[in-house]
Amino acid sequence: MIYEKHYVWSILLRLYHWSLVSSVVTLAITGFYINTPWTLTTLEGTGLYPMLTMRNIHSLAGYLFTAAILVRIFLLIFGNRHERILDLLPVTSRNIKNMSTTLCSYSYLHDCQDEERLGHNVVAGVIYVLTIIVALFQMASGFYLRLPESVFWQKWGVMLFGTQQHARFEHHLMMWYFIVFALIHIYLVIWNDLKHPDGITSSIFTGNKFRPRSIK
Amino acid sequence: MTDTAQSTDLNLQVDRRGFLKGCTMVAAALGISEAMIPKLVEAATSAQRPPVIWLHFQECTGCTESLLRASHPDIGRLILDIISLDYHETVMAAAGHQAEKSLHDTLDKYAGKFLCVVEGAIPTKDNGIYCKIAGRTAVDILAEVAPKAAAIIAIGACATYGGIQAAQPNPTGAKGVQDLVSGTPVINIPGCPPNPISFLGTVLHYLTFNRLPVTDNLGRPLFAYGRKIHDHCERRAHFDEGRFAEEFGDFGHRNGYCLYKLGCKGPETFSNCPSARFNDVDVWPVSVGHGCIGCTEPNFWDTMTPFYERLPNVQIPGTSGITDIDSAGKTILGVAAAAVGIHAAIGIGKKVIKGCGCKNENKES
Repeated sequence: MIYEKHYVWSILLRLYHWSLVSSVVTLAITGFYINTPWTLTTLEGTGLYPMLTMRNIHSLAGYLFTAAILVRIFLLIFGNRHERILDLLPVTSRNIKNMSTTLCSYSYLHDCQDEERLGHNVVAGVIYVLTIIVALFQMASGFYLRLPESVFWQKWGVMLFGTQQHARFEHHLMMWYFIVFALIHIYLVIWNDLKHPDGITSSIFTGNKFRPRSIK
Repeated sequence: MTDTAQSTDLNLQVDRRGFLKGCTMVAAALGISEAMIPKLVEAATSAQRPPVIWLHFQECTGCTESLLRASHPDIGRLILDIISLDYHETVMAAAGHQAEKSLHDTLDKYAGKFLCVVEGAIPTKDNGIYCKIAGRTAVDILAEVAPKAAAIIAIGACATYGGIQAAQPNPTGAKGVQDLVSGTPVINIPGCPPNPISFLGTVLHYLTFNRLPVTDNLGRPLFAYGRKIHDHCERRAHFDEGRFAEEFGDFGHRNGYCLYKLGCKGPETFSNCPSARFNDVDVWPVSVGHGCIGCTEPNFWDTMTPFYERLPNVQIPGTSGITDIDSAGKTILGVAAAAVGIHAAIGIGKKVIKGCGCKNENKES
């Protein structure tokens, strides 16, 4: 069978993806440190500032995370046809069909892939939209915790999360969403790559996916 | 301040020196210029200052105790001296019908002019029968007094956000004043107990400028609750440097290191404790080696507990099990990993049984 190369993921989307990966990893590690600092310093007068450094890196990664999410939201509206929100959600008959095909395939009921489709499958699409929503809450709680005295963030923070302690609790809880997401995401990418020859893993590096030439 | 700390006399009058000193302290707490101190003094000594009705509901009287007793007689007496207290169950001489008469006289005579201070939560369940004074429920008393007051000052964690009575499962349906009163301005002075300076500052601000001080989104005056404890804490340098007390009495604790890992809630609590301090001897919880418990924040009994952990515990859905947030997270991650493992095993098993699973690959082979 002859396969054809198709350009699917724009540079901006790939940049978004890798910014998100690096920021989430950094945020989780520094976040764990900030919650439960594992260093045991008793040296005085050294000026090492481990907590200060961790918090600064956390903030920096938070801004990268924010930028990445804003780029993805931009692409949801103005991206190419594989990146737009209408391609991610089960709102068209094509997408609803894909969703059931994907769910059947994931539960090993049959082995068919929607070969015509180049973008995300709709199960992934729904989870990605949910992830962006969680990310928005994560950003808002993060800014509320970082800028507690700002009138703007205090107003929204109290409305959305409650006190600083509520926000902190929910911020920490949502981190676990991203950790579980990462596990399942990586597993399903490998699973799909083993099952289907469309080049799903390399597509996030190169932007290209493959499908049989017979499909137009 | 040392002279007042050592003072043990029981003279009920505030001398002029103590009076001016108290006004100066309040001006400092309010963050207003020293040029305004004469105006504060003038307002505090004015003959036309409004009377105060002090209502006690579900509370322990700790707020009153901390205001009046403590070790700073000047501030305590200053409060009694400045405000014309017409009704206060703890300190008034009258009792029974006399006391109730005094309350109603003030309500009639000074309607729309008096200040109302509320201490304690208001139980609303079962028609409010869990707190009754002179045969009437707290809900009824507040409903009668609140509309006639010029402003209401809710003092303490209970009157502001319900306090310990409102902690889960809140058996009496206790609520704070701001949830029950509309139409009359309410200002919150939370804390368990709050610093007397914060209360006095609010009262003097009202007497001097004829309006309540600016508040944050939770109704607390910004002059006292505008900054996080963590940002003014004397142990902050140890926090940034990563020097923590790991347990009570260890090396770090004895050397004054940060109490963060002992569950100090300073990073999520707004109050002037590190700058205003307590008891005229310049102490506050963190300075004497115990973490902040976040008593100025709404529902702190529910959200700040366990007091010696950083974050609240989580209820495992569908069970009565309670665990800390990271154990819950690890459990969810473990379940997800197990699901992934089972999913992968089924895939491999199917492939072993059937040979090749995919239609495309079948075509190719």
